Amino acid sequence: MNKVSLSAQHLVKHYGGVVALADGNLEVHAGEVMTLVGANGSGKSTLGKIVTGVVAPDGGRLLLNDREVVFRSPQAARALGIVAVYQELSLVPRMTIAENIWLGHEWQGTGAVLRDAEMRKRTEEMLALFEGTTHNHLDPDLPIASLSPGEKQIVEILKALSWQPSILFLDEATASLDSRQVNRLFELINEWKNQGMAIVFISHRLDEIYRIADRVTVLRNGRTVATAPINELSQQELINLMIEGGVATRTNGKRPETSQAEEILRVESLSTTTLRNVSFVLRRGELVGLGGLQGQGQTELLLALFGAIPYSGRIFLHGQPVSIHRPQEAMRHQIAYVPGERNTAGLLPIQSILDNLLLPSWKQYGFPLRVRQAQEDAAGIANVLKLVMAGLDAPVNTLSGGNAQKVVLGKWLLRRPKILLLDDPTKGVDVGTKSEFYKLLSELRAEGTSILFYSTDDEELLGLCDRVMVLHDGKITADLSGERLVHSELVAASMGSSV
Amino acid sequence: MKAALNSGLLRRLGRQYFLFSLLLLILGVIINASLQQNFFKPIALVGLLRTYLPLVLLAAGQTIVIIGGGIDLSVGAIVSMVNVILVTRMGADATQSQVLTALALGLLAGTLAGALNGACIAFLRFQPLVTTFATTSIFAGIAVWILPRPGGSVPDFFMQPYRSAPLGITFPLWIILGVALLWWYLRSTRFGRYLYATGGDPYAAYMSAVPVEWIKFFSYVISGLMAALSGTLLTMSIGTGSALIGLDMTMPSIVSVVLGGTALSGGAGGVIGTLLGVFILAIIRNIISFANVPSWWQTLVNGLVVMLILAGPGLWALIRGRREA
Repeated sequence: MNKVSLSAQHLVKHYGGVVALADGNLEVHAGEVMTLVGANGSGKSTLGKIVTGVVAPDGGRLLLNDREVVFRSPQAARALGIVAVYQELSLVPRMTIAENIWLGHEWQGTGAVLRDAEMRKRTEEMLALFEGTTHNHLDPDLPIASLSPGEKQIVEILKALSWQPSILFLDEATASLDSRQVNRLFELINEWKNQGMAIVFISHRLDEIYRIADRVTVLRNGRTVATAPINELSQQELINLMIEGGVATRTNGKRPETSQAEEILRVESLSTTTLRNVSFVLRRGELVGLGGLQGQGQTELLLALFGAIPYSGRIFLHGQPVSIHRPQEAMRHQIAYVPGERNTAGLLPIQSILDNLLLPSWKQYGFPLRVRQAQEDAAGIANVLKLVMAGLDAPVNTLSGGNAQKVVLGKWLLRRPKILLLDDPTKGVDVGTKSEFYKLLSELRAEGTSILFYSTDDEELLGLCDRVMVLHDGKITADLSGERLVHSELVAASMGSSV
Repeated sequence: MKAALNSGLLRRLGRQYFLFSLLLLILGVIINASLQQNFFKPIALVGLLRTYLPLVLLAAGQTIVIIGGGIDLSVGAIVSMVNVILVTRMGADATQSQVLTALALGLLAGTLAGALNGACIAFLRFQPLVTTFATTSIFAGIAVWILPRPGGSVPDFFMQPYRSAPLGITFPLWIILGVALLWWYLRSTRFGRYLYATGGDPYAAYMSAVPVEWIKFFSYVISGLMAALSGTLLTMSIGTGSALIGLDMTMPSIVSVVLGGTALSGGAGGVIGTLLGVFILAIIRNIISFANVPSWWQTLVNGLVVMLILAGPGLWALIRGRREA
């Protein structure tokens, strides 16, 4: 009965000098559900991308039914029956459900005229699979833009299904589905499995993994460290496999007890489209980490506090309620946000370092601008940051990634913020710059700046922060400090487990 | 039963992207008819159609480029180029075969011009705005090189069809009907589907195995071909040549597309709306000339009216948004 089988052996992938996947192995057969688990940066998404043809590996090989294959594109993989469900990436918002599902493989009739009526009918049959789990009746003629995130995800799943896959990749496909929809999807997965489909299921929800998986493959630091039937592993054993033994090294000295320090920021039941009822307190001179798997609402939390996205809930500064609905208002309250995507949100790449550093601060220099004073301040900051550069007049795009990231931070430091919101600032930054960055953060903390620090690097959170709040599906699932600030607790909370 | 059918039809009409354009056109017709006594007389309507027929074809091609997420500023220059090719190749007493050769040359030139635009934009990833602005100079330059001074003529039998009315229906209406049918066919094919996907979300289209680059390329080729057809009709209509004749048609072609409800951001709209858009533009100009606006103000008034209409939906959203905030 085992018809189709896929085997990835010793896959390797580098991005520049960073090894994303060192030894990726995955095997899946017809009629089984394989799940892929791993912490942030374990390489599970890279492995998934290689196997579905999105990225090309630097080493290793892929065997489909025991024959070696090379995919140059997702289309090549799809032609051989390997189809991935993307997270809302492959839908055109202005087109209808039916048009989107059949996009790229429409049924043609005489004279190349599309057989719309038949495609529409087939779409209706497919939508009926999820009948009753959606708020509104899904009509094939509805435009994608009018659907909720969960409904879009359903269309993505049906779109993948319309290619009649023999191997189906579901990468976080349940993230925006509600429990009824997840239940329905699991019933369908079991049906497809019994029809001989092979399914690879990637999820950040441990409970879902235990409900649907037959076998599990665990990745850690770019290596496949275990493959086993799911019922042979307890949740605790699974989590232990995902983390390395040993304790993370502290890069930052433990600070004196902060619970007595003055309260700077209080957030009460903050909600956005992703966040659900987030409440916490940030004290003076406290460095608090935001942890969890990627995309659990960490960036949204920072953006909401910076007034860049709409939210509901209450924010207090120094005990006073404040209304922050625009970045300008946040800046007035001395809140600064350092974005992670420095090239798109943080810097004007062809402008000089000086102009980038001073952009948010020109207001301080009066009218007409006291340019010399501004230049001196910028030079001072560049010194504090230890910028490696040709000069303040050099364009920012001549800097290395780490130094460019320092400029992003520096431009906000010039404004002397009281609260610093950092959105994964060390992503793609070399080790030397990272440690300078850490030093800078502890200096800021010593000066009394309160820092909210989101990082996808668990080591960094454990080594640097006084306290780490773990987000999972838009909720704070754990607030770790002191004895509990250890890797196993962090990973368990990331997976939504209560172990 | 009939009422149900009616309401269904109305509901479908209400969902169409060109609803606003249709209402605008009806409004324009009412105003125009009240100012111009003989507006509904065939002679006036046919005159209007003959004047604006070249723009219909030009704007239809423009629509396809814009739906695909681009813009084509060079269509007017292509019209000029084709116009001068036709008159220099024909002359007043050309034979039938000479006329056919000239026609083939003209259409080929337009198609190649579109292919040049498309290749630069789709495969070399140049910016559509900059590319077609640059090629405008190239095509206009070629036109001036071919015919430095306005003049030339075409045989009578070449112009004759433009004034004819086969089966009692005036020639321009046949062409417009043809454009609408061709568009309907295009929409019903993969190319049509891919065009909307490419303009709507190129990345999603690429992930769905849509040949995004080829779709972009062919949208410009079609636009070039339509511009060549437009230039041909223009030559049939006026019978003479000028290297500058088409340059003033580029902006109206874009304005017609937008008036017809096609978004400049791509991925939405259609040629039927653009047909309405051309008529709206024609009627605005007609109203202004009949409303005794002094001739030196006509351009200004025309511009202001168009701007007001284009800004309308945006202003409406702004006012509504402010009230909610």
